[in-house]
Amino acid sequence: MFKIFSSIRKEFFLLVSDKVGLALMFVMPLLLVFIITIIQDSAYKIVNENEIPMLVVNHDEGNQGNKLLDLLITSRLFKIDTLNALPEKALKKELLARGKMIALYIPPNFTNGLESNTGEISHMMMRDLGLEADSASVKTAKMPSLSFYHDPVLQENYSASVMGVVDSYLGMIEKSMMIDRIYKDMEIGAKSENLNQKMAVNRVKINQIVATNSNSVAVPNSTQHNVPAWTIFAMFFMVVSLGSNIVKERVNGSFLRLKTMPTSFMLVMFSKMVVYVLVAILQVALTFSIGVWILPKIGLPELTIPTNFPAFAAVVLISSMAAVSYALLIGSWAKTQEQANGFGAISIIIFGAIGGILVPAFVMPEYMQFASNFSPLHWCLEGFYILFLKGGSWNELRWVMLFLGVFILICQLCTYIKLRIEKII
Amino acid sequence: MYTGPSIQIENVTKRYKSAQEDSLSHVNLQINEADVYGLLGPNGAGKTTLISILCGIIPPSEGNISYYIGGVGISGNERKSRMGFVPQEYAFYQELTPRQNLDYFGAMYNLSKADLSVRIDALLYELGLTKVADKEVSTFSGGMKRRVNLAIGLIHKPAILFLDEPTVGVDVQSKNAIIKYLEEINRAGTTIVYTSHHMSEAEEFCNRIALIDHGKVVAEGGMNELLTKNDASSLQDLFIKLTGEEYRD
Repeated sequence: MFKIFSSIRKEFFLLVSDKVGLALMFVMPLLLVFIITIIQDSAYKIVNENEIPMLVVNHDEGNQGNKLLDLLITSRLFKIDTLNALPEKALKKELLARGKMIALYIPPNFTNGLESNTGEISHMMMRDLGLEADSASVKTAKMPSLSFYHDPVLQENYSASVMGVVDSYLGMIEKSMMIDRIYKDMEIGAKSENLNQKMAVNRVKINQIVATNSNSVAVPNSTQHNVPAWTIFAMFFMVVSLGSNIVKERVNGSFLRLKTMPTSFMLVMFSKMVVYVLVAILQVALTFSIGVWILPKIGLPELTIPTNFPAFAAVVLISSMAAVSYALLIGSWAKTQEQANGFGAISIIIFGAIGGILVPAFVMPEYMQFASNFSPLHWCLEGFYILFLKGGSWNELRWVMLFLGVFILICQLCTYIKLRIEKII
Repeated sequence: MYTGPSIQIENVTKRYKSAQEDSLSHVNLQINEADVYGLLGPNGAGKTTLISILCGIIPPSEGNISYYIGGVGISGNERKSRMGFVPQEYAFYQELTPRQNLDYFGAMYNLSKADLSVRIDALLYELGLTKVADKEVSTFSGGMKRRVNLAIGLIHKPAILFLDEPTVGVDVQSKNAIIKYLEEINRAGTTIVYTSHHMSEAEEFCNRIALIDHGKVVAEGGMNELLTKNDASSLQDLFIKLTGEEYRD
C-alpha cells in the first residue's frame, strides 16, 4: 500500500512541479470557456431566443405598413428598430453602420398598391359571379414591393426564413383586405369582421416538440456547448504535460532503473492514470462550476447539469481515461519531449476541430461529420450532449461508452507494445 | 567473512536484433563476494551491455548468470531486492528534491516508511546532501546529481552494487567523496561491480578487473597479478597493451 501511495505521491509532485503544464490544464479551459462563450453567445441568442434585430423604415402613406409592423412586433421573432425618417438609399449604409443583420423597407405606395390589387380581384370576382360591379371604383396602381436588406455574412437559408416570415404576414394582410373589399362591394361590409376573425383563428396549428428523453428541456446555448467542449479539449491537452513526462522518464533511464527493482511497471502506469484522471475530474469540476455559478453573473446562460448523475459521472470518468490513455500513447511513442508536445498539441487541435469542439459537428459538411466519428473528443462531447441536451439514458450512452472503451484499449495496447519494444516492461 | 562467488557468469553472449556481430561473446566470469570488480574496456567494448544484463535490464541471448549471497542462490524479486544499480545517466526525477526521489525509489524497494525515513537521513548526511535535501535537483551541480544518483542505488543497502561510470563528469571533491563512500560500504561486505574510463581511479579502487574488448574478455584477474603477468607499469599501460592505441569511436 505504501508503494502505491509513494508512486501516486511522486506523480503528484511531478505534476505540481510542471507549472506550465498546470496552467495549460486549468487556466486554458477557463479562458477558452469565457472567451468563446461570450463570442458565441450572441449567435446562439439569434438562433434560440428568436429575437432577430431588424431595422424597419416605413414610408407607407396608408395604414397597412403600420399593420405589417405591428404583426412583426407582436410575433416576438424580431427586435424591431424603426427609423422612418431615413431615405431608402441611405438604408444600406445605416444597416452596416448600426451592426444590424437585416432591414425591411416599406415603400410609400404600399397601402395604395395593395388596395388597388384587392379592388381589381374583387371586381373580377363580382363580374364572374354575374353581380354588378362598379368599374369606376377600381383604382389601378402598381403592385407594391418591399425591400429586404441583409448583411452579406448572413447565411442564405437564414435570410430566406426571415423573408418567409415577412411573406406570411403579408399574406395575412392581403387576405384580410381582400375579404373586406369583397364584402364591401357586395354591400355587406359590416359583416367582414366575423369572417376575418374566423379565418385568423381557424388555422392549422403546428405543435413544437423538443425531442428529449426527460421532461427537463435544456436549450442548446453557448454555455451548454462551450463548457463541456472546452473542458474535454483541456482534458486531452494534458498530453503536453503527461506525454512529455513519460518521454523524460523513458529517455533519462528512470523507467529502466525501475526494471532493476522489485516492483511492477504496471504500478507506474496505474499511478499516472490515477493522478491524471483526478486532474481531469478536477478540470470538469472547475469549469462546470464556472458554468453554473459564474457565467450567469456576467449575463451568459447558466449551465444546466443533467439529473442522471451516475451516468454523468460515468461519462466524465471514461472521457478522463480516454484523455490519459492518449497521453500515455503519445508519451510512449514520441522520441523527444518536443515531439510529444508538438504532435500531442496539434493532434488535439485537429481532433477538436473534426470532433465538433470548435464548431458543432451538425453544421459541418457530411463528409466531415463522418470524419468526426474518428475523433475521441467527438465521442466525449456526444456523451455530454446526450446527457445535457437530450436527457439521455444509459442505453443511449452505449455507443459513446463502446467507442471510448475501444479507444482506451487501443491506446493502452499500443503503449504496452512500445514499452515492450524498448524492453522497459 | 564468506568470500565465495557472488555472481557467476557462464558463457554469456548478447547479439542485438539488427546487429551483425555479438556485443558480448561467450563471457565467463566469477565475481566474489566483497570484491570491487572493475569491468574495463574502450568505448563500444560491451561493458554497459554486460552490466545491463547483470542488472536484469536486458536478457542475454545465450548463457546463464547465477547470484549468491553467503553462498545461497538468489533469484527473482529477492535478487532485485538485494541488488543496487547506479546507471551512467541521471536516472531519477530532477524536478523533485533528493528526499522526494529517495522516498519514491526506496518505497519501490519495499522499504517501510519508518526504515526509509532513517535511511534517507543517513544517506543524505553521508553523501553531503543534507543541506540541499529539500531543493529541486535540477538546480544542482553535476557532482551533486551524481551523489543523488548513487544514493538512490544505495537506499536499500544492497548486497551487490552495480555502478556504470559513477564518477563521470564530476569534480575532484565529489569523485573523492563517492569513492570513499564506496570503499566504506565495500569494507562492510557489499560486492561492487564497476565500469569506468578512469584508469587511475580503477587501479586504486578495484581489487579485480576484467578487460573487455570487442565483446570478449581479453584479461581477467587480480590487479597486481595482471600487471605482473603483462609486464605493465600501470593499469593504463596494461589497457593500451591489450586493446591497442587505435581510436574507438
